[in-house]
This record gives sequence, C-alpha cells and structure tokens, in this order.
Amino acid sequence: MEVKNLHFFYEDNEEILSGINLTFDSRSTAIIGQNGAGKTTFVKLLKGLLKPTGGDVIFNGINTKESTVAGLARYIGLVFQNPNDQIFKNKVIDEVIFGPLNIGQTHQKARENSINALKIVGLYEKIDENPYDLSLSERKLISIASIVAMNTEIIIFDEPTIAQDYNGKEKIKSIIKDLSAKGRLVIAITHDMDFVAETFERTLVFAKGNVLLDGTTREVYSCIEELESAYLEPPNVTQLCQRIGVEKTFLTVEEFINYKKK
Amino acid sequence: MKKIIVENLKYKYPLTNELALKGISFDVEKGEFIGIIGKNLSGKSTLCQALVGLVPHFYKGGYGGKVVVDGLEVSKSEISELSQKVGIVFQNPFTQVTSCKLTVYEEIAFGLENMGISRGEMRERIDNSLKLLGIYKFKDRNPFDLSGGQMQRMAIAGIIAMKPEIIVLDEPTSQLDPRGSEEVFKAIQNLSKEGMTVIMVEHKMEKIAKYSDRIMLLNDGEIVDFDIPQKIFSRGDLDSYGVTAPVFTKICKGLRIKSKVTGLYPITIDEAYDLVVNYIE
Amino acid sequence: MKILSLYQERNTIIHKVDPISKILYIIISITIPIIMPYKIIGLLCMSVSIILLLIAKVFKKVIPLVSFSMIILLSIIIIQGLFNGLNDIPAFHIGNLIFYKEGLLFALEICIRVINILCAFAILVLTTKPSDLIESLVRRGLSPKIGYVLSSVLQIIPQMSSTMATITDAQRSRGMETEGKLRVRIKAFLPLIGPVVMNSLINTRERAMALEVRAFNSKATKTFLNEEQNSSYNKIIKVILIFLLLLAVAWRVLI
Repeated sequence: MEVKNLHFFYEDNEEILSGINLTFDSRSTAIIGQNGAGKTTFVKLLKGLLKPTGGDVIFNGINTKESTVAGLARYIGLVFQNPNDQIFKNKVIDEVIFGPLNIGQTHQKARENSINALKIVGLYEKIDENPYDLSLSERKLISIASIVAMNTEIIIFDEPTIAQDYNGKEKIKSIIKDLSAKGRLVIAITHDMDFVAETFERTLVFAKGNVLLDGTTREVYSCIEELESAYLEPPNVTQLCQRIGVEKTFLTVEEFINYKKK
Repeated sequence: MKKIIVENLKYKYPLTNELALKGISFDVEKGEFIGIIGKNLSGKSTLCQALVGLVPHFYKGGYGGKVVVDGLEVSKSEISELSQKVGIVFQNPFTQVTSCKLTVYEEIAFGLENMGISRGEMRERIDNSLKLLGIYKFKDRNPFDLSGGQMQRMAIAGIIAMKPEIIVLDEPTSQLDPRGSEEVFKAIQNLSKEGMTVIMVEHKMEKIAKYSDRIMLLNDGEIVDFDIPQKIFSRGDLDSYGVTAPVFTKICKGLRIKSKVTGLYPITIDEAYDLVVNYIE
Repeated sequence: MKILSLYQERNTIIHKVDPISKILYIIISITIPIIMPYKIIGLLCMSVSIILLLIAKVFKKVIPLVSFSMIILLSIIIIQGLFNGLNDIPAFHIGNLIFYKEGLLFALEICIRVINILCAFAILVLTTKPSDLIESLVRRGLSPKIGYVLSSVLQIIPQMSSTMATITDAQRSRGMETEGKLRVRIKAFLPLIGPVVMNSLINTRERAMALEVRAFNSKATKTFLNEEQNSSYNKIIKVILIFLLLLAVAWRVLI
C-alpha cells in the first residue's frame, strides 16, 4: 500500500496532515503519537472514510478517491475503538457475519469465516448469545472477530487495548501476531508503549501532522529525544535500560532478563 | 480515626444470580493512598460505587453488611449527603460533563449550587479547585472544548470543590493519552499530599505501585490480599488472578534479585535500578 | 463547540434586560392587539418590536424567518383576496382574477398578527442565552430537574450527531453502502438505530450517576453562582408592561 504526498484539512483551514509519504509492506505497524497529531485522520484516509484534499492513497492499484467506502471494505477493515458504535444484531453470529455478507462472500463462506474468526478470539461458545449480554471486553473481541471474518488483506485497529485488563491485552496481542503471521498487514493506533514494544515490527510516530519517526520498533524506541518532543515515553523496560546505561535498546522483559543472565 | 470501615459487604445487582461482592471487610486510615487491582469483573467498580452510595441507592439490588464513610453509614444515608464526605471520578471524561453549563467555571459550580452554598463561598472554592488542578486558565472555555486529560481534571475539580475528604477514582486514565494520564496522576498526587484520602482503581501497575501506601487485590468479589505494594507484587501467583506485576518487579523476579533490606522484590524504577546495576550472575 | 441555540452575542441594552421581562413582553404584545382589535394597534406593536430588534442589532437575523413565513402569508392574502365570503368591493384584478377589498384587509390583519408574534419571540430568542432563560425560570419555581433537562439537551444533541457520524462510519467500514439510491440509503438506516440507542442509554446512565454524586438530588435550597439581573430598570420595564396591559383592558371595558 502506498501513500503519496498526502494532505488533508477539514473546513477550518488548519491542515491536519501535511505531505505524508509512506509505503506499507506486510510488517505489523503501530502508529503512535499525541492526540491531535493526526493519527485517526490518517487511518480514516487509508480506509476511504475521508478523501484526501491533496495526494493519493493507493493499494492494489486502487486509488481511494475513486471508490466508495463500502467498495474498499473488501480489502481493508477497520476495528473501531468503541464496540458499542458497531454492534446492532442480537446474536453474535449474525453480528460477525454482517461484514462478510456485505462485501459479497457467499453465505456458506461467510459462515465459515465467521466461525473461524470467533475461534480465533476465543468466543466460539458464545456464538448464539446476545452481544449485549456480554461484558465490554468480550464485545470488543466480537467487534474484532467481525472484521477478521471479512478476510481483508489489511486490518486496522483503533486503540485495541483501551479498557482491557492484562488477560485481554495478551489475547489481543496473540490475535495480532497470528494475523501478521498469516500475511495480513496489521496497523494499529495505540497509546500503550509497552504493548507496541511487545507486538509490532514497525512503528510510525506522528507529530503535528507529520511522520516524525519511521522504522523498526527497536530503532524508533532508541530515539529518546524525538519521542520526548512528541510527548511520548519509551516503555518501562527501555527506560530502565537507559538508566543503567546499556547501549542496546530492549523491548521486552524477557529480552532484558536473557541479556543479563549471559 | 478510621476514614472508611467496611464490614462484610455483600452485594448483588438486580436481575443477576451471582454476588458481585462476597463479603468484603477492610479499613482505611485518613490520608492513605489505596490502590485497587484485579482483573475485569472482579468487583473493583462495584466496590468503588459502594463507597459513595451508588451501590445500593442507584441500582437497588441485594445489599448486606455495613459501610461507614467518615462516620456516615452508607446504606442509611442519601447519595447527596455522602457526596460531601466522599467523591468519585469515573473512567469516561465525557459523560461526567453535566452539559447544562457553558463554561468550565460554571461547571464546577454545579455541585455547589445543588448543595446550597453561598455565592462568596462558591467562588472561593471554585478558584481553589481550578488552581489545584492546574486548569484555572480554562475557566471561561466551553467544557466540551477541552482535551480528555483536561476534562478529567475538570471532573476532579468539580468533585473536590464539594470538599470531601476522600476521593475514589475508578480507572481515571484508561481513556486518556499518555500526556493526559500524566496530568491526571500528577493532580492526584497533589491531592494526596494535601492530606486527601485516595482510593484508586488502575491497570497501570507501575503507577499504582509508585503512589500507593497499600494495595488491595480483588478477585471474584473477594479480597485476596491487602498489603503494602512490595508484598503484593512479590507474590508468585499474580497470574492466576489476572494481574501482572510492574515491569521493574518482573525484571527482578526474572533475575531473582530481591531487596536486601525488605527481602521483597522492588517495585519502582529507582529500587530496581540499584539492584540491577549491582547484579552479578 | 456548537450548541443548539439562536442566541446572538451582542452588547445592547436589550440583551441586558432579563428574560422574564421579555416573556412578559411577548404576552403583552400578543394580548393587546387582541383586546383592542384595531389594525393601528397591531401595526404599533409590530413597529415597537421591530425597533427593539434594531436596537438589539439582530434585525438582520429576523428577515430570513419573516421571509419564510411570507410564503404562507402570501397564500393567505391570495385566498382571502379572492374567496372571502364577505367580498364585495373589488380592489384590483390580475387577468381574470378579481381581488376584493374586504378579503385583502382581513388578510392584512392576519399578516400583521403573525409578524407581530414572530418579532416578539425573536426578541426573546435572539437576545437571551438559553441558560439564562432557564435559570430565571428555575429561580421562580421551575423544577431544577426539568431545567437541567432543557439546558443539557442544547449541548447533548450536537454531541449525539457526532456520535451518529462515528456509528455510520463504523457500519460503512463493514461494507454497508450509504451512498447512492434512496432505497440504499433507507436500508442503511437500520444498522444505525441499535448502536445509537444503545450508546444513548449507556451515556444517560453514566451521566445520571455523575449527577447523583454532584448532589443533584440534594434537598437543600438551591443557590446560584450568577447574580440575578434584577436591577431597577428591569422592575420598571415590568411595571410599564403590566400598566399598558391594564390600560388596554380598561379601554376595552369602558369604550
């Protein structure tokens, strides 16, 4: 997927995004940055919910300007932050199958994909229950399943770990790693620096409508000054290492422990 | 003087079969900072709401046991009475905005108007709260024009203007970005320094370890443990309760280095730093 | 942030008058022409309202409102001019259609009444902050809970419309078409109702809890942060208005 010289502003003349140039390969990518830096706007532009005022977003030879949102839905899925903004059916299976049916899967294929998706998020036993009877974190997993079932090449998550406890986060981490291993491009907007360190191969730092840093997560997390200027703190492990004066940038607790034991 | 006394608190929400709280007992002294941790649905929010009277008065449901807050028995008092003893701040900054006031200043006045406070006293309290929370410069803005962190600080200001001596915070930063979170934690720390008794539910273990005097671990509606942070996070069975230790503690656990003074694992970056630097395999 | 109101911020003396006086003015300017049904009285009231609007510098905002009602008024003029039962003396004609004097005068009276009412309301709506109006009513006995509902609606409705936009985006992202033929758009409406209702219910409950813990249900007598604008000239205005009303009644009774 390619983003060429992307510009965007709303009616009030402040430009939200000023000239973004990026290419996405299949590495799982996290997008971090302060609120107001343009992350959500960027993701909406990728999804076609907003059309660029300048520049293009192109993937698979399709330019987002030339397609409706629903038309793009078969290639690129977006899991919204609040599951309550999405859920409307009174059976879990009906909710999950809604997306696949809309983008033209046959009923049988759609059902198959939905069941698989529910198994991936670990909620297969609740398949006939009413989504409103489930807890908030379970509803979040349902909303993830309903996008995964659409089998899109690209999946975007908007703040996947908000309001999740430790177990919930671990589950989402494994879902993302799983999808990435299957070759899908996973992009996520998140504030959770530890989560990013443990899960994503590539990290983009947005600040004031521009991409401040772009590289592997390890590289990006080593650039302490730039991160500070974007009001971001490196994850706790990395902070401890920097305190000690270790040269290498560590991303997870396990890495550091193994290093120290040698 | 004990600020909060909870004796065998039991609670069941209406139309459910299971107890949300299964016999909770504990005390809190004046000025303490108590952290509450536990996995989702362990009863943390229910406990918070039981301290301010929302449980049982807002929900009704089945209630047992006794909660006494600053001398008032919760089940026998009105929520508006209790609001002068204990305040609560919720997760979502948006739904705490009254939306009937056009400026931040008037927004803080809302609770005071309801209480019947005189105008002069009102202005003094509002000015103090705004300054304490660092949002005095926003006093003439529309409440909805603030960022998430500013909105949460406004919610806290609105509560402390009512002058409770206890404040309960139920995951106040979970919907905020890192900067907003930091602003809110600093504000809470200030309140604690001024002598406020603070009860806070949080998932950010590093933060709660840093600020709490004692931590309560809840699971399935019961208290598993209620002790100083070092003891709680040194437990080996945290996983089974769906919680994790702060990163620094995890590192030291992995390297098996304990503090020589306490015999427990460190919980903050400073403590961990000392031990890790001197680590020899 | 947009709030739902027509209030125009200006610094005129009309703006400084308290809302209750303006409500009184509306009542008076509607009642007096009814008590004294002479066209001259109607015209007088209308002129006064227009002058007040000019002083308040909001006259320009009334014009679209009046123009809109002109469409209805014009149809009244035409129908009455042509078909009023009392029509006798012709006034003028357009082609084959004859407009009669009686009908036209009757229609004129209606027009004056309607514009009068519109202008009087406009003075209230365009120069009063909704929150001030509601606060005045609560001070005089309106239940604070109703007052709260009225004031919060003005800010919550714009909020809801932005939530609607997010919900629509979420469903479009799942392949639901919203652009295109009318039938497509109607079909797109169903998946939106559930989330909108659900969100509103959840928000309402959370908001209710937040209000409770801010002593919303306290039995104490409510006080007000803002000082009431009860300067002497507000009292004088009320006295004058009531005096005029009594004059009109006296006129009617004695003459």
